Amino acid sequence: MAGSTGSKAASGRDKIKSYNKYGYLFLIPFAVVFVIFQLIPLVQTIYYSFFENYRSGLKMIGPNFIGLENYKTLFQSGDFLIYFKNTMIMWVLGFVPQILVSLLLAAWFTDVSLRLKGQRFFKTVIYLPNLIMASAFSMLFFTLFGDIGPINSILVSLGLISGPYKFMSHVWSVRGLVALMNFLMWFGNTTILLMAGMMGIDKSLFEAAEVDGATSGQIFRKVTLPLLKPIFIYVLITSLIGGLQMFDVPQILTNGSGDPNRTSMTLVMYLNKHLFSKNYGMAGALSVILLIITGILSLIVFRATMKDED
Amino acid sequence: MATVSLQHIEKIYPAAEGGKKKKKKEPEKKNNLKVTEQGVVAVDDFNLEIADQEFIVLVGPSGCGKSTTLRMVAGLEEITNGDLYIDGKRMNGVESKDRDISMVFQNYALYPHLTVRQNLEFPLKLRKMPKAEMDKRVEHAADILGITQYLDRKPKALSGGQRQRVAIGRAIVREPKVLLMDEPLSNLDAKLRNQMRAEIIKLHQQIKTTFIYVTHDQTEAMTLGDRIVIMKDGVIQQVGTPQEVYDHPINTFVAGFIGVPQMNFYDGSLIRQGDQYSVSVGEAVIPLSAEKSARLAEKGISEGSVTVGIRPEHISLAEAPGRMLEGTVDVSEMMGASIHLHVSTMGCDSIIVVPTLNLQSGMDVSIGARIHFTFAGNAVHVFDRESGENLELD
Amino acid sequence: MNKKYKNTVGPRRAAAYIVLIILTFFCLIWFYVLFINTTQSNSALKYGFTAVPGNYLFKNMYNLFHGPTPVLQGMLNSFIIAALSAVLCTYFSTMTAYAIHAYSFKGKKAIFTFILAIMMIPTQVTALGFIRLMNTMRLNDSFIPLIIPSIAAPITFFYMKQYMDSNLPGSLIEAARIDGAGEFRIFNSIVIPLMKPAIAVQGIFTFVASWNNYFIPNLILSDKMKKTLPIMIAELRGSDWKTFDMGQVYAMITFAIFPVIIVYLILSKYIIGGVTAGGVKE
Repeated sequence: MAGSTGSKAASGRDKIKSYNKYGYLFLIPFAVVFVIFQLIPLVQTIYYSFFENYRSGLKMIGPNFIGLENYKTLFQSGDFLIYFKNTMIMWVLGFVPQILVSLLLAAWFTDVSLRLKGQRFFKTVIYLPNLIMASAFSMLFFTLFGDIGPINSILVSLGLISGPYKFMSHVWSVRGLVALMNFLMWFGNTTILLMAGMMGIDKSLFEAAEVDGATSGQIFRKVTLPLLKPIFIYVLITSLIGGLQMFDVPQILTNGSGDPNRTSMTLVMYLNKHLFSKNYGMAGALSVILLIITGILSLIVFRATMKDED
Repeated sequence: MATVSLQHIEKIYPAAEGGKKKKKKEPEKKNNLKVTEQGVVAVDDFNLEIADQEFIVLVGPSGCGKSTTLRMVAGLEEITNGDLYIDGKRMNGVESKDRDISMVFQNYALYPHLTVRQNLEFPLKLRKMPKAEMDKRVEHAADILGITQYLDRKPKALSGGQRQRVAIGRAIVREPKVLLMDEPLSNLDAKLRNQMRAEIIKLHQQIKTTFIYVTHDQTEAMTLGDRIVIMKDGVIQQVGTPQEVYDHPINTFVAGFIGVPQMNFYDGSLIRQGDQYSVSVGEAVIPLSAEKSARLAEKGISEGSVTVGIRPEHISLAEAPGRMLEGTVDVSEMMGASIHLHVSTMGCDSIIVVPTLNLQSGMDVSIGARIHFTFAGNAVHVFDRESGENLELD
Repeated sequence: MNKKYKNTVGPRRAAAYIVLIILTFFCLIWFYVLFINTTQSNSALKYGFTAVPGNYLFKNMYNLFHGPTPVLQGMLNSFIIAALSAVLCTYFSTMTAYAIHAYSFKGKKAIFTFILAIMMIPTQVTALGFIRLMNTMRLNDSFIPLIIPSIAAPITFFYMKQYMDSNLPGSLIEAARIDGAGEFRIFNSIVIPLMKPAIAVQGIFTFVASWNNYFIPNLILSDKMKKTLPIMIAELRGSDWKTFDMGQVYAMITFAIFPVIIVYLILSKYIIGGVTAGGVKE
C-alpha cells in the first residue's frame, strides 16, 4: 500500500497540524553542536592554514595572510613526507598481520564443521585489548620493554640474549612495538567484523560448492573471499584512516619525541607539536592535508559500498 | 457511536518530490493509478455515507487505495481534496488524537516495553482518566477479549492471536466513536484467522461502535461487513451488502473478485426475442430468467457480443450431450464436501464446483475425462464485452 | 568423501586451537605481567621478573593515592566526562536518528547524506580551530568542550538509524499518535525504551572512547586537578621516571586499565554483539 511519505499540498486550513516540522526540531541539538564544535573549528582550521601565525619567544607573529606558503614549507622541509612515511610503515607493519590473522580466525569461527569450543571466550579475549586505554597500554609496553624491564630480564634469564636489549634505541624495535600494539588492539575488532560479513553470506552457497566437490580451501578462496570484498575494503580503508590518526601509542612510547631520530614520529604527533608550540599556520596546513587524504579515502569506501548495492 | 461521511475524498501524491527515483521505478509499476498534473491519484472521488454502528469493509487488491482511505479517516494521511465528517463534524484539519477514533494495525503495533495492562492503559493515561475508571475499563476490555490472565505479561510473551486481541483491546478501551482496522488478521495463520473473524463479529455486536475494516481478503469482507466497498485503482467499484455484491456484481472486476473460486467468464452473445433474452456460449443457448430478461428489456439492451459470467458453484454437470458445454478435465481437486474441477473448454479454463453428494455414480470426472455441463438462466451474469459493465444494472 | 572430510577436520581443528591459544597468550600476557609487577616492591622489581605475585599490592596502591599525582581526582574527572558524554551522545544521537527515521521533510535525504559524509572526519583535523575557539569562548580548562561535542556523533547516529530501521515500525508511532501522545512524549516514553539495547551498546562504546581519549583533553585541560587519567599517564612517561618507585608506576597503569577490563568482562556479551550488529549493516 501507499507509504506515509510525502504528504503535502493540502489547502491551508485543511492541513492537519503537520508532524513533520518535529523532524527539524529534533535535529536542532545535533545541528547546533555540530556547527559550534565541528564546522566552525573546521572552517577556522582551513582559514589559518593560509596565514603566517606562530609564537616566537613570548611574541605571537601574525596572523598575516601568506597564501600557500605554509603548504610549501611543509613539503619543502621534507618533514611532512618523512612523518607520512613513518606513519605508513608502522600502519602496514600492524595491518598486514592484523588482516591475515583476522581472516584466518573469522574463517575458523564461522566454519561449522570445525565445531570450535570456547568461541565466546576467545572472542572476548581477542577483543579485550581494543578497549584498553591506548596511552596506558603504551606506557605499560614502555615499562615492560625498558632496559631493566621484565621482558629483558626474562630474555636474559632464558639465555636468549647476553645483556639487556635497548628496545627504545633502535629504529625497528620501536616501530615494531608500535605495530605490535596496534595489531593487538585491532585484530579482534577486525575478526568480528569479518565474521559478521561471513555469516551474512547465504549458507546454501557453501553447500552448493561442497556438493560440487570443492574443498574447504577452495570454497574459502573462490566463494568467501570474493563475497567479502566490500567488507574487506571497508576494513582496509577505515583502518587506513585510523592509521593516519595514529597518535597515542607512539606519543607515549617515545614521550612525544618520535625517537630514535624521529623515525617513529607520526603526522598527528607532528600536528600535536605544532599545536603545543602555537605554530598555528603550519598546524592548519597539516590539518588540511590530513583532511584531504581522509576525504579521498572515504570516497573510495563510499564508492566500494555503493557499487555493492547496484 | 457515530456516522462517518466521506464526500469526494481524494488523495494525490505529488510526483515532483523524488521524481528521479520514481522514474527509475516506473517500469515495475503494476497498478493503473490515474496520473494528473498534481501527481498520482491514489484515491479518486471517494463518496460514502456510513451509518452509526455500521460495519463497513473496504476490500480490493493491494494498491487499490483502501488503506490510504482508512489512513485519511484516521488522520494519519492528509486529505488532498474532499470532506470528511464524523458525527457531522468536519474532521479534515483535526489531529488523529482529537478525532475520537482508534485503530488496529496489521502488525499489532503493541508497545514492546509495556505490559499488556500498561498497553491498554496508555491511551487512557494520556487522557488523564481517573485510576478507578481506568481499571474498570481495562478489566472490561480484557474480559471481552479473554486476555485477563495475560494482563501482566509483555507482548513478546504472547502468541500472534493473543497479541492481536491486546491490540484490539487497546483500541476499544477508549470507547471510540469509530474503530478502524487495517488488515488486522493478515499476520495470523488460517485457523486463527477464522476464529478471530468470528470474534470480531461478536465484538461488533457487543460494543456498538462504527467499524471500518480494511482487507484484501474477500472472505473476510463477505463474512464481516454489513456493507462492502470494493475498490480498484483508487476508485470505488461497488458498494453493497455481501448478498448484493455477490448476486449483482456491477462489473467483471467485482464479479471476479467476490466469490471463491473465481467466476468463470466466457465470450458469448446475447439473443433477444421480444422481451425474452438468451445467451449463447459455444453450443449452448440458455434462456435467461424472466426477472433478468425484464431488467435487460427495461434498459433496452440489444443483441450482440457479451461476456457471460457463471459462478463455479452454479454450473451443473449433465450426462446428455446436445446444447451443452463440453470440456476436458485438467485437474480435479477433492475438497471434501465438493470437488473443484478445472476444465478446459473453448480455449479457456473453467472451474466447476461439484458437491460430492450430487455426483452421480458412474459419472467420470477423472483427469482427461470429457464432461458436459450447463447452468440455469437465473445464474447467468451478462457483461458488456468492452467495458465489462453488468448490462442488467445501471 | 566422508573419509576425506574426517581426515582434514582433525588437523585443522588442532591448528585452530594452537593459534587461538598463542593469540590468547599474547593478548593476556601483558596484563598478567602488569598485575604481578603491581604486587611487587620497587626493590624486588629491580631484581628481575618473577611469575608469582608479591604482597606489595596494597602498599603500592596506598603510595599511589598519597603520591604527588592526584590519581583519584583524575579517575573522577575521567568518569564524569565519560559518563556524561555517553548519556548525552546516546540520547541525542537517538533523537537525531529519530528525526530522520520518523519524519519526512524537505532536505531530509540531503541531511542524511551529509551526516554520513562527515562521519569520517577525524577530530584531529579540526583540533586547531577547536582549541582556538574554546580559548575564545573561555572554555579552556573546562569539561564542557570534552562533553558537549558528543551530542553530534555521526557514527552513533548511524548505528541508531540502522537499529530503528529494523526495530521501530512506523505503525507503532502512528498507534501512539492515535492513542493521543504528543511527539516528545512518543520519543521519550516509546522510542527511548524501545532503543534500550542499542543505547546500551553505544553507551558503552562512547564511555570507553571518552575514558581513553588523550589527544583533545590534553590540549584543553591544564589545571592539575582537572586532568584526566590518560593525561596523567602521559605525564608519568614524561617525568624523570627512573627515580620513581616502579611499583607505583605499575600501580598507576593498573589503576587506568583494570576498571575497563572488569567492566568489559561483565558486559562483554553486549559489546561483542554490538560490534557484530554494526558490522552486519555495513
